[in-house]
Amino acid sequence: MIHCERLNKRFGSEQVLEEVSFSLAERETLSVLGRSGSGKTTLLKILAGLESADEGEILLKGQRINEQSPQERGIVYLYQEALLFPHLNVFENLAFGLRLRRTPSPEVKRAVEEMLARLGLSEQASKMPYQLSGGQKQRVSFGRALIINPKVLLLDEPFGALDVETRSSMQAFLKEVSLEYQITAIFVTHDLKEALLMGDRIGYMRAGKLDIYDSKEAFVQDPRTEAQSEIEFWKRYQS
Amino acid sequence: MQKGFTYLLAALILLPFSLLLLLSLAEGWSFPSILPDAWTAEHWSRLFQLDGDLGQSLLLSIGISLFVATVATISGFLTSRFIAYSPFRERYLIMAYCPFVLSPVVYAACIHFFFIKMGLSGHIGGVLIGQLIIAYPFAVIICHGHWNERIRSMEQLVATLGGSRREAFQKVILPLSKGILLVCFFQCYLISWFEYGLTTLIGVGKVQTMTLKVFQYINEADIYLAALSSWLLFLPPAILLWFNKRFVFREVNVS
Repeated sequence: MIHCERLNKRFGSEQVLEEVSFSLAERETLSVLGRSGSGKTTLLKILAGLESADEGEILLKGQRINEQSPQERGIVYLYQEALLFPHLNVFENLAFGLRLRRTPSPEVKRAVEEMLARLGLSEQASKMPYQLSGGQKQRVSFGRALIINPKVLLLDEPFGALDVETRSSMQAFLKEVSLEYQITAIFVTHDLKEALLMGDRIGYMRAGKLDIYDSKEAFVQDPRTEAQSEIEFWKRYQS
Repeated sequence: MQKGFTYLLAALILLPFSLLLLLSLAEGWSFPSILPDAWTAEHWSRLFQLDGDLGQSLLLSIGISLFVATVATISGFLTSRFIAYSPFRERYLIMAYCPFVLSPVVYAACIHFFFIKMGLSGHIGGVLIGQLIIAYPFAVIICHGHWNERIRSMEQLVATLGGSRREAFQKVILPLSKGILLVCFFQCYLISWFEYGLTTLIGVGKVQTMTLKVFQYINEADIYLAALSSWLLFLPPAILLWFNKRFVFREVNVS
């Protein structure tokens, strides 16, 4: 589905991405872990077309997309914040992408109502964003992206601003809709548990270099990921 | 108690304007009379005379201020966006503050030579450009604070959802910026409307705006026409403030 080959990016003297290569199959979710400043967000922005790589190649369904604008790529980038448009109600926020595509109104209405039902937000259609809870805002944000059927969904710590309980229910919700809508996604987080829960495969980013693990077990066994030390902590805590 | 204080405050604010209105309708008002000796609509009728200079000055002032406020707001808004996202934003912002280091009249004296050379001295075009030199950087400074990472992220989100830069601007940026645009327009309108020193120097007295008219009547000791022109000077900004207030408050409630 998406293949990156030796991506490099520098900001001034700082090497942000170094020889990043990976492939992602259709309907697969790749979790990318890493500390702040390790280059995760830059990688997503380059894939979305919001930043350009200094070197390297990005292929989407076998076609080079380096020179394509974000509008042409069909890759939606979601931020940590829901970023709902504050002047539009929930219905219009969901309809935004369809209206950009000049989709006929009856079709927009049908698709949005269907999405509202799927998100469990049918009662909130006419509400403004400031009237929603954090979790509801994130649901609308996912719905706004899913409704246009993106080729790839890039999620940049989407649950970072949510409380523990909401975060947990949103993880389950996203997992569910990912399977239902057969989403190909890259999920960036710095939460170990979240990475294991959300990803089919896991990658770890250190100082601009991305290591993709063959299995979750391989990831847990690697001492550099600190997964083992976390497991040890909980074992010690239990005993 | 609080209501009474509000009324008292409102009365104190409105008192000078009421006196100006009474004076503009008076035929004579001698001390110690509380009210004018006789009433007349003659001063106000001058406003509607086809060859009357007062009506022309009012229209000229409204025209100049609307033009300056519109051009300064649009160009200041777009420039401020460019500056906010530029790696040299601090340098550009310092440049925007430069015209305010000097008072407008000293500033006008400094640039008047170039206006004479370009044949703009004594012309409306010269006054428009002179006022824009003050209002445009002011608009840039006002609008600069509006741009932030959140708005930039929204622009990028629109792009990944398939929208062009024009669509992002029309459908997201402009609706989000309505409040700041209205405030900026109003402030620039006021700068232009009450501008005296620069207009006098660049316009060399030939471009007779309402502010110049007020000073002219005061110098001529014509208190009735001075009162009328002061009242006219106060009216358009007051109307604009009323609309501005309504729209800005509505914006705040929505967001």
